[in-house]
Amino acid sequence: MNDLFRGKLVRFTFEEPEARAKAEARWQRDTEFIRLADSDPSQLSSEKKIKEWFDHQAEGGPKPERVSFSVRTLEEDKHIGFLGVWVDLIHSEAWVGLGIGEREFWSKGYGSDMMKLCQQYVFAELGLARLSLGLHEYNPRALRSYEKCGFRLEGRTRQDLVREGHRYDSLWMGILRDEWLQMQKGENE
Amino acid sequence: MKDVFMGNLVRLSAFDPEEMSKVFPRWNSNSEYFRLLNSSARPMQSSRAALKWMEEEVSEMPLDGYYFAIHTLAEDKLIGELELDVVNWPGREAFVGLGIGETEYWSKGYGTDVMNVLLRFAFMEINVRRVSLGVFEYNPRAIHSYEKVGFRHEGSMRRLLKREGRRWDNLFMGILREEWLELNTSVPAETAMGT
Repeated sequence: MNDLFRGKLVRFTFEEPEARAKAEARWQRDTEFIRLADSDPSQLSSEKKIKEWFDHQAEGGPKPERVSFSVRTLEEDKHIGFLGVWVDLIHSEAWVGLGIGEREFWSKGYGSDMMKLCQQYVFAELGLARLSLGLHEYNPRALRSYEKCGFRLEGRTRQDLVREGHRYDSLWMGILRDEWLQMQKGENE
Repeated sequence: MKDVFMGNLVRLSAFDPEEMSKVFPRWNSNSEYFRLLNSSARPMQSSRAALKWMEEEVSEMPLDGYYFAIHTLAEDKLIGELELDVVNWPGREAFVGLGIGETEYWSKGYGTDVMNVLLRFAFMEINVRRVSLGVFEYNPRAIHSYEKVGFRHEGSMRRLLKREGRRWDNLFMGILREEWLELNTSVPAETAMGT
């Protein structure tokens, strides 16, 4: 059986709130990273505040509607990012968001590996019917990675983002369990 | 200047928790209405619970949430609810949710009239750049109404919902300020050009 939490380049971990807060406080100061990861206006919070939030999350324990992982590389055992899943339990579908805060790990297949692990978790472990995500038009690297993982572009919210005085679209993608299973079959043949 | 809250069939009115909480349980106990409006499966049961929720959520009126009641002009009857949320101030995008709880007012142009008033409010009063909405595949009446007031189809989340044993798409639509201005040429040019 496949290891649910180990991919080809990365593994999912649970980092302690201190470690997460320390990393997060550094990553949020990277403007390019924040603008790729988020559409809200960039803001700064103290490491203490971020840790309080992660403490609160950790104390609540695992919740069926919210799954949250930290990500480490297999080779260096370095904490490079995060991945979160929000589940709609009634309709058996989920949203995923991920980020690689350590820039030297961009464009090297780490994101795709994280997404493949996530799909395996969502479809093979949680048994959900669909996985959705959103991204910004100005993030072609992410678009390619998600396409590679089998996501289909399903639509765009026209001109809802403004960056550096230009307007951009939000893009929406999705993959159905059947499509993912079909892909697995192809890869195993 | 036009009364921004006045339509041809309806007016947008204050969202009064006392008044609203009395009709909410009845509206939401209609499963067809609830399913057209929500993807959740938890209608509020008592008017007391509704009142408590409204006083907490609605009465505080956060800067990015605009809640309205909908009254008919002819009978001054409360028939629906309306919410506009600015989801992104820098991008100036707002998201609208609209429900006509009194079912005898369905399919008679009330929803379309509400949406026309709402869009004027969104573009001329709080100056957003676009208005977005989501609508379920099994609600063709709403889709038709939104098309009529100028919303464009922007995509569809395939098979997002499961209802009655099968899966349905969630459609999303949007209208840009300049598209709305073009459709509403009665707006004086100097108003239209202002930023």
